[in-house]
Amino acid sequence: MKIKSSLMAMGLAVSLFHATAFAQSPAELNDLEIAHVAYVADNIDIRYAHLALAISKNPEVREFANTMIRDHEAVNEQALALLKKLNAQPQDNFLSKSLQINAEKLIDEMSKLRGDEFDKRYAANELAYHKAVNDLVENAFIPNIENAEVKALFEAGLQIFKAHEGHATMMVGKLK
Amino acid sequence: MKLPTRREALVNTAAALSAAVFTPTSLSRAIASDGPSITHNVEIRKFKFVPDHLLAKPGDTIVWTNLDIAPHTATANDRSWDTGMLKKGQSKSVTVSEIESGGYFCRFHPHMKAELQIEQKDSL
Repeated sequence: MKIKSSLMAMGLAVSLFHATAFAQSPAELNDLEIAHVAYVADNIDIRYAHLALAISKNPEVREFANTMIRDHEAVNEQALALLKKLNAQPQDNFLSKSLQINAEKLIDEMSKLRGDEFDKRYAANELAYHKAVNDLVENAFIPNIENAEVKALFEAGLQIFKAHEGHATMMVGKLK
Repeated sequence: MKLPTRREALVNTAAALSAAVFTPTSLSRAIASDGPSITHNVEIRKFKFVPDHLLAKPGDTIVWTNLDIAPHTATANDRSWDTGMLKKGQSKSVTVSEIESGGYFCRFHPHMKAELQIEQKDSL
C-alpha cells in the first residue's frame, strides 16, 4: 500500500495499471532496472532544477535548485562509476518510462508559470517528488537489491534525498 | 572570494583542493599558543558534522573531511570563514587564529549545523 501511495504521488496511476496488467511492480525490478530508475529520477530532478534556475528570481529557490543539481550529479557520478566497475548496464523498464512521461508533463506545466506561482509550484513538487522517491527507494528498492555495493549506494543516496525532502519542506513553508 | 578579517581562521589548502579562501597575508597573523598545537578532525558524514561541537585554541589545526557523496561546506554563521566546497573524500585544514567562538553550517544543506568554541589566549 505504501508503494502504491508513492506511485500515485508521482502521478503514476497509468503506470500502476500497466504494472498490474503485466505483473510488474517496483519490488520486482532487478538491480539493473532499479539502477536505471534511480538514474532517470536523478536526471528528472536535475531538469526541474535547471527550469527553476531559468525562471525563478527567488534566491532561496535558486540556491535549492543549485543544490539539487550538485547533489544529484554527484550521485549519478557514483552510480556510473559503480556500474562501470561491475561492468553492467542499467536496464530501461516500465517505471523509468512512466517517470519520464510524467516529468515531461510537469515541465510543460511549470514552464508556463512565473514569479511566486512558479516558486510555489516548484517547491511543492520538489517536496512531493522527494517524498515519493524516498518511499519507493526505502520500501521497494533497498529491501530487494541483491548486490551489496548497489544497496550501499542506494542507502547513501537515500540519506541525501531525505535531506532534500527536509530542505524542500522548509522551502515550502517559507513560500506560503 | 572573501578576504580575511581579524576574526578569521587561517586556512591552508589541504589535499587536492586549490581554492583557498584566505590569503597568505593571513598566515603571518598566526598566533602561537602556549601549549602544543593539536589537530582536530571533523568528519562530515551522513549529513552531520562529527563531532558537532569542538573546543580548540589558537594555533590548533582543524581538518574537515567530507565522507558523503554530496558536496558540503563548513561555513561560519556570520560568513567570516568558509572552507569552500568539499567533494567526497576531500579535506580542508584550517589553522585557528583569533577566530571567535560560534556556529557554522553547510551552505548547501543549511540544516547541517555545528559549533566551534575557541579558547582565548588568556584562558590558556
